[in-house]
Amino acid sequence: MPLKNTPIRRKLMTIILLTSGVVLSLTCVSFFAYEFLTFRQVTVQQLSTLGEIIAANSTAALAFDNQDDAKEVLAALKAEPHIVGACLYDKERRLFSKYPDILPADAFPAAPGEDGYRFESSHLVAFHPVVQGGKRLGTLYLKSDMEAMYERFRRYGGISILVIVLSFVVAYALSRALQKQISQPILALAETAKAISDRRDYSVRASKLGEDEFGLLTDAFNQMLTQIQAQNQALKESEERVRAVLNSALSAVLVIDANGKILDWNARAEAMFGWSRGEALGQDLTGTIIPPQYREAHRHGIERFLGTGEGAVVSRLVEMSALRRDGSEFPVELSVSPLKTGNVVTFCGFITDITERKQAEARLQAQLSRLELLSRITRAISERQDLPSIFQVIIRSLEDNLPIDFGCVCLYDPAAKVLTVTSVGVRSGVLAMELALTEQARVPIDQNGLSHCVRGQLVYEPDIIQVPFPFPQRLASGGLRSLVAAPLLVDGKVFGVLLAARRLAHSFNSADCEFLRQLSEQVALAAHQAQLYGTLQQAYDELRETQHTVMQQERLRALGQMASGIAHDINNAISPIALYTQSLLEREPNLSARARDYLVTIQGAIEDVAQTVAGMREFYRPREPQLTLAPVQLNHTISQVINLTRARWSDIPQERGIVIRLETDLPPDLPGIMAVENEIRDALTNLILNAVDAMPAGGVLTIRTRAISLPAPQNEQEPATHVCLEVCDTGVGMDEETRRRCLEPFFTTKGERGTGLGLAMVYGMVQRHTSEMEIESKPGAGTTIRLIFAVATPVTASAVWLPAQAPSRPLRVLIVDDDPLIIKSLRDTLESDGHKVTTADGGQAGINAFAASRQRGELFDVVVTDLGMPHVDGRSVAAAVKAASSATPVILLTGWGQRLLAEHDTPPHVDRILSKPPKLQELRAALAELAATSVEVKVL
Amino acid sequence: MALLKTFMPFAANHSPKTALRAWLAVFVLLLSGGLDLPAQTPATPEYQVKAVFLFNFAQFVEWPPEAFREAHSPVVIGVLGEDPFGSYLDETVRGEKVNNRPLVVQRYRRAEEIKTCHILFVSRSETERLEPIFAGLRGRNILTVGDAVGFAQRGGMIRFVTEKNKIRLRINLEAAKAASLMISSKLLRPAEIVAPGKD
Repeated sequence: MPLKNTPIRRKLMTIILLTSGVVLSLTCVSFFAYEFLTFRQVTVQQLSTLGEIIAANSTAALAFDNQDDAKEVLAALKAEPHIVGACLYDKERRLFSKYPDILPADAFPAAPGEDGYRFESSHLVAFHPVVQGGKRLGTLYLKSDMEAMYERFRRYGGISILVIVLSFVVAYALSRALQKQISQPILALAETAKAISDRRDYSVRASKLGEDEFGLLTDAFNQMLTQIQAQNQALKESEERVRAVLNSALSAVLVIDANGKILDWNARAEAMFGWSRGEALGQDLTGTIIPPQYREAHRHGIERFLGTGEGAVVSRLVEMSALRRDGSEFPVELSVSPLKTGNVVTFCGFITDITERKQAEARLQAQLSRLELLSRITRAISERQDLPSIFQVIIRSLEDNLPIDFGCVCLYDPAAKVLTVTSVGVRSGVLAMELALTEQARVPIDQNGLSHCVRGQLVYEPDIIQVPFPFPQRLASGGLRSLVAAPLLVDGKVFGVLLAARRLAHSFNSADCEFLRQLSEQVALAAHQAQLYGTLQQAYDELRETQHTVMQQERLRALGQMASGIAHDINNAISPIALYTQSLLEREPNLSARARDYLVTIQGAIEDVAQTVAGMREFYRPREPQLTLAPVQLNHTISQVINLTRARWSDIPQERGIVIRLETDLPPDLPGIMAVENEIRDALTNLILNAVDAMPAGGVLTIRTRAISLPAPQNEQEPATHVCLEVCDTGVGMDEETRRRCLEPFFTTKGERGTGLGLAMVYGMVQRHTSEMEIESKPGAGTTIRLIFAVATPVTASAVWLPAQAPSRPLRVLIVDDDPLIIKSLRDTLESDGHKVTTADGGQAGINAFAASRQRGELFDVVVTDLGMPHVDGRSVAAAVKAASSATPVILLTGWGQRLLAEHDTPPHVDRILSKPPKLQELRAALAELAATSVEVKVL
Repeated sequence: MALLKTFMPFAANHSPKTALRAWLAVFVLLLSGGLDLPAQTPATPEYQVKAVFLFNFAQFVEWPPEAFREAHSPVVIGVLGEDPFGSYLDETVRGEKVNNRPLVVQRYRRAEEIKTCHILFVSRSETERLEPIFAGLRGRNILTVGDAVGFAQRGGMIRFVTEKNKIRLRINLEAAKAASLMISSKLLRPAEIVAPGKD
């Protein structure tokens, strides 16, 4: 029996005896070892001494080869009984002498061994050198018997055994008596523990025997018992609680072992599967709740988990179906947790009945898809602005996705109480033909279901065969059975109806109806938005048009101002040329024919320049109608221009093989218009040239006129109010950008060839004539420019210029101008006419000169002053002159002339304004007229 | 020694001992060549033993300090008269040392030639002249050894006696004492002590 299983009493005694025995044995062994070593040492020492003596005594015997003597020396060893043998070897290592003599020579080593001592079996053997005077003479061999030592050991051994035996006896007696002190309390404790574990009664307590460690142990033991008792109680309560929790769980909780046998089964499981706990426990799970299609997988899953520790459903939420006791299957959510206690694996399954959730999910899914559809439709609608396209999108989406068998949108006319079919779905097309519900078909509203709808209610007819009204019957004849009519409402008013129908009766559920209702709201909203958008777009377009026009005018105004400045300078510059040329032509009769011809040419050129400058300066400005407008026969002017420009639209292109065909449509009874003919002519020329330029590969140039009435005529007999002139080409046309900018001055598409002023001038003319201009053009489709003029009123023009006679008498004339060339040329020409001319080269100088003449009493008859001068301008001069002598006429000579007129800016104190370059005729006429007036004044 | 060294051209680089040996060789050559020495005859086994004994005596006999000039002065073994050892004695002592002293063999024809000598073997050839020889050596620390009959009685110190084919010693202790020589008791043990006049 191993020590650990022996009773504690014996264990204690064994320990005590073993301890004392081991201590004693160790003591003896060490004593023996010490004795042995000491004895050996002593023996060796004794033998060494003996050897020393014998060797010393043997030297002479060896040196002088005296064996007798050697024998004698060795014989002395008799006194040492333990020396059992000795001998001497001579220098040649031969046996020289032996002791005891009776021993045979082979009892000794044949030759001496190494010097020193060694123990051989039971003997100590020594080889001792025999040395005399440092000279080795031979070797002494001694053999000592160790019997003495063994004798001594035997004696010691006896004593030791005696002592050990005695000690054992004493130790046994003592331990027997003392072990009780320790073993008794332990045994008592063990007894108690055994009793508790046998009876499982944790209320038993161990009795305490003392206050030592065993007392403490007993206390701890008792305390432990108390704790165990408390824990047991707690455990029991906890188990009851767990059971209660399990039973109250909403999930079915069941535990199976590795073989699939049911170990636990909670209340919910009883309710869910129909097996009571008692019935279920011990059954095979496979046979109870697992549907046949999962049984194989279930068994395989358990095996796989036990083999690999992995499982498809372990510690995961899995949806599958389960079997009730009555054999019905239902969807469950299952999670399986392996429970490992020790080496036993069980599985705990949590099963939730998700039938309701599944249904809810399906409902939610359907709702989501509806919502998705709604959002898709809404998005599609939002991308469209026109009603037909919006309706088409809706119906197509409904056909595809709701789905429906027939769908259409009708617009409602409340006055006529009629629905007009506006959009029919693509798939519904065939059926619509059959039902005569194609687009634009009209459906009268009587007392049928639609009357509810047009009052704003959604109408659902689950089975229209049952409805005796004509419209439902009409649909039913096409095989449709159920119908939903959803009103399209804006601001509480129905403007249309959305119709959706299916071939199956009762096939729309409440969700479908709700969906259609929401959809119809969306549609109505979108339709409303589309209308609003259309209005907004229109307003915006108009606004943009206006803004464009304003910008155009503003741009032209700025350019016009600049042009005026330039024109002023040019007019000043060419004034002397004009004056001198006229003067020369008039006053030099002796001019050669060639000089005269040249001068006439110069005069013409100057007039051209003046004309061009005037045109440039004024092309943007509305002209005073009474000044310029005259009745013009447009057709006549057109014919003139066509002839004038023939080279450009016919001859020059033909040289390059390009043919431009001119077509005219000029009705002979065209009313006259109020216009300046040469401006019309210029404009027409420009338009024709542009048209030719737009047709580099040839084409048709059409010019037509017609009388029109604006606004639209109320009856045929009304006379035309306007005349329309159209210039059309079949050329390259203009893109939007070009069309927008084509009226801007200096904007050209012709590169170096164009000035960019052609159309701008046309536009200026149009502005001045308060007529209208329209441009129609598309890239590649040619351009049509339409000018619309008002018809001339049958009133004769009032502005008739009366030529004046040259003044009969010479006049005193003061000329004020800051330009010396003009002063000189004016003086020269006026003096040639016989006038007396005084000049002043600035405003102040002019005022001074006038004041001086007045003091002299020689008042000037006429003052001619420039308008723009530094420091003191023409207005100041005129004011000063009139202040001094109000009767003295003042003629203002200006390069700005037309502008002053246009702005009604004829300054006070000025009697006449003449524009530069001054025409001699005009100047003379003015002088004559004013001088005459002033004389009259003077006279008065 | 220093003086000798100056006359030894071939021993200049040798140790004193080697030099001495060389010197001795020269000396022996001179003696044997230059002097008319008796021809050396090969030693009999008996004399071989005796030669060893002669050498051994050097170990068992103590000379007074004045017998040696220096601490390393050699122990001189002399042979007077006919040399019975041949070269054996020389071979026996060659390379040997006693109490750090080398051993040298010298041979004398007449007693007068003996100068420094510690052990003197008196050959049988001198048997007739023993008394005068001993008389001449009186007072000198020379151990006289011989094998002539009555050698010890006649005043010699140690005589080799051949008994039963063994060589035994007979020692005249008084003679030795007279020469101030201490003979080890160990030597005395196997020897026979004789008084003068008896043989």
